[in-house]
Amino acid sequence: MSQMTVYTARNIRTMNPSLPEATVVAVKDGRIIEVGTLESMAPWLEAHDHVVDNRFKDHILMPGFVDPHLHPTIGSMLLPCHWVTAMEWQLPDRVSPAIKTHEGFMDRLAEIERSLSDPREILISWGYHKIWHGDVYRKQLNRISDSRPIFVCQRSFHEIVANDAGIDWMEPARDELERHEQVDLETGRFFETGMFLALKSLKRIMMDPERFAQGMAQMKKLMHRGGETTVGDMAFPLTDEAFEWEMLSDNFGSDDAPFRIAITPRGINDMASYGGRTADELKRVNELEERSTDKLRFTNSIKLFADGGFNAELMQLLPPGYIDGHHGEWMMAPEVFEDLARLYWNAGKQIHVHCTGDLGVELALSVLEKLQAERPRFNHRFTIEHLGVSTPEQVRRIKDHGGIVSAAVYYVHELGEAYWHGSIGFERASQMSRMGTLERLGVMTGFHSDFLVSPPQPLKLAWVAVNRIAESGAVLGERERTSLDFAMRAITIDAAYVLNMENEIGSIRAGKLADFTVLEADPWETPLEDLKDIPIWGTVFEGRPFPIK
Amino acid sequence: MTTRIPITILSGYLGAGKTTIINRLLSGDHGRRVAVLVNDFGAVNIDASLIETEDDNTISLTNGCVCCSIGDDLGAALDAQAARHIPPENILLEASGVAEPKRIATHVGFWPGFELDALIVAADAETVRNRANDKFVGQLVRSQIRHADIIALTKTDLVGPEAARGVKAWLRNQVPNARIFEAPNGTLPVALAFGADRASNALSGPVEPAPHSHLRTVMCVPGTGLSRAGLARAIEALPSSVHRVKGFFRDLETGRMTLLQCVGRRHEFLEAPTDTETVLVLIGVGSDTEMNGAMDLLTASDALEADPKSTFAARISD
Ligand SMILES: [Zn+2]
Repeated sequence: MSQMTVYTARNIRTMNPSLPEATVVAVKDGRIIEVGTLESMAPWLEAHDHVVDNRFKDHILMPGFVDPHLHPTIGSMLLPCHWVTAMEWQLPDRVSPAIKTHEGFMDRLAEIERSLSDPREILISWGYHKIWHGDVYRKQLNRISDSRPIFVCQRSFHEIVANDAGIDWMEPARDELERHEQVDLETGRFFETGMFLALKSLKRIMMDPERFAQGMAQMKKLMHRGGETTVGDMAFPLTDEAFEWEMLSDNFGSDDAPFRIAITPRGINDMASYGGRTADELKRVNELEERSTDKLRFTNSIKLFADGGFNAELMQLLPPGYIDGHHGEWMMAPEVFEDLARLYWNAGKQIHVHCTGDLGVELALSVLEKLQAERPRFNHRFTIEHLGVSTPEQVRRIKDHGGIVSAAVYYVHELGEAYWHGSIGFERASQMSRMGTLERLGVMTGFHSDFLVSPPQPLKLAWVAVNRIAESGAVLGERERTSLDFAMRAITIDAAYVLNMENEIGSIRAGKLADFTVLEADPWETPLEDLKDIPIWGTVFEGRPFPIK
Repeated sequence: MTTRIPITILSGYLGAGKTTIINRLLSGDHGRRVAVLVNDFGAVNIDASLIETEDDNTISLTNGCVCCSIGDDLGAALDAQAARHIPPENILLEASGVAEPKRIATHVGFWPGFELDALIVAADAETVRNRANDKFVGQLVRSQIRHADIIALTKTDLVGPEAARGVKAWLRNQVPNARIFEAPNGTLPVALAFGADRASNALSGPVEPAPHSHLRTVMCVPGTGLSRAGLARAIEALPSSVHRVKGFFRDLETGRMTLLQCVGRRHEFLEAPTDTETVLVLIGVGSDTEMNGAMDLLTASDALEADPKSTFAARISD
């Protein structure tokens, strides 16, 4: 048995409404013994050996932040790329500044190119977006370098632009590229399905184990800087189960990684006809769960998908749909979704459904309603993931059927104005990520980063929710703002509830794991507009301090 | 001359009968080395006596066909086929039930080493009209049908002839000039799926019969050159009972041997080797009169000075 450590702090925001504030927390063997004051916990202190640790006497302790939905694998693939982005991203070893003009984009890319010491390095950049950066062409990239292959990847992988050196470096011969309808060698653009030709070659670099491991190291630093101690890997595996499991185990399984990951297996994507084989699918998932460890744990959950990506404008919308008349897509056939949902519902699992548009939400809710009628369940925690575009009435139904929400709040900050002008108009764009309605109707809600959709910085997500400051700086949809309390719960105790871990983490109370996020300022004493800028000292993970270096 | 492997895409919403079509095509005795790429490997169901070898994601059959799982990287699945010791003559690719066929056609049709042959969309006579009005998938199902080169109408035996006629009329209303092939029990003749044999000289050999279907093949050797513009106009005017046209002809304007490939309402002209023999092959479901009329339309399609007497026509139908 180890000694008890007694941390004193300027204030402890416990997120436990029964004892919301305190100044001392005692910790032993990774768990919280008691929270309160030195006086109130005197009986414990008298009975047990302890040391008083005053290093946090000027700091604010909060429960370790919980980010219930991100993708360590995607992060690890893309973090080693060179980022040139429209929004500011604070990365472990660099800041990617907000660059919102074409000239700015080209200058930054040229600057990165000049900084590369290895002349053989292939320059892969990520973060390009036409809304801000305009068109980027082959000839412009040739001016940056005519010898180094350069690939500019669009933020949500709609297109990749290459220079001539890049085109020559690629595997397929030029004439094979030339005949492709969605490749334009004149401009150097590989778009939509044409992009897969560029990716075919780039994947060799991006999935290189050494580079991937570097990416995962950066991923860990990034999560740590955001103050996160528990995250949800909300769809395992992405592609290669064995490789990803090895990478996760190596990088997150060790003692020096101050995180635990709640892993949700990805439901099978395409089953055309599977009479009698649903049992196999359940078995596959149950077998994955047997791998569960303290740090990489499965929580009796499953990830299913309704409609397409929000950043890709592939969400399925109820009328009146998109301004340009295009349609979204289904990631799973609705009948397959229903059958799989029934399978996991009846097996007692928590179902997380990726829903980005209001028609996607409609599908998830209509299935939930059926399942409740067939075999009622309490405390099922059927989770709507993302909730991009939705209606207030749908939020009411989520509540009525006992559903909960893991919300992508950042959408409104990055895309609110862009979708107002270019996609769905003001009314629905200003109400995307309708957190205010969730609060008014009392729906249990966690906020997630879905990294790389948004930075894994829970304070930044809370900042978006309470302010709804869009990327221009204007407030978008003020009636959908939330209170500070709601937002802070959504990154701690309520996010823990989404991951079915609220008994162990998410608040500071006796018996829970001793995970804290250590802040330099108190969110309740900080102007709401400055919430995202509160400096983070580091975290405490299961009792051990991990300062940000 | 192209050495790209032609791909036929089999699209269609869930329950449209794609898996039955695949199972029958794989185990059929048709003499072609076909690779079938599927999403749902577990649904493939083939008589064990026809299976030569089987592993986690490939089944090899005694008739030279293979069936492989696509996995989550379509491009890699295609590359694996091209890299085989003896690559397949044709690929049948099962599209996911929720895929927009046009997108998948672009993806695979331009993949290095491959080309699009046909986009076949299976539609279930029993349910397609309801599905086309469904709140969640109506738009998708209508889009799949609209983009089909050929619609394989399945389960017509379950609904009876009158209802089948009703569905066909409805399909024609959705897609003017739709090419519809009835495949009640999921039989899709290889000539329809992959066209006349792709080796150029095989066109002059016997055309494979399609004993279980009402498919007809009509062949003709035009006596003169033809014009591309004239052929294009004639193709527009073809009856919807003609599903495929393939042929080699001398282009009147350029004097060069040219390959015409036409599936459904879509056609293209490609350069052909100079020593190719002239021939036109039609595949469809029309009556003899209709098919021969269609051939006449094509062979007369330009040709200011075409002399009908010099036209040798070999017409085969079953
Ligand atoms: Zn996600």
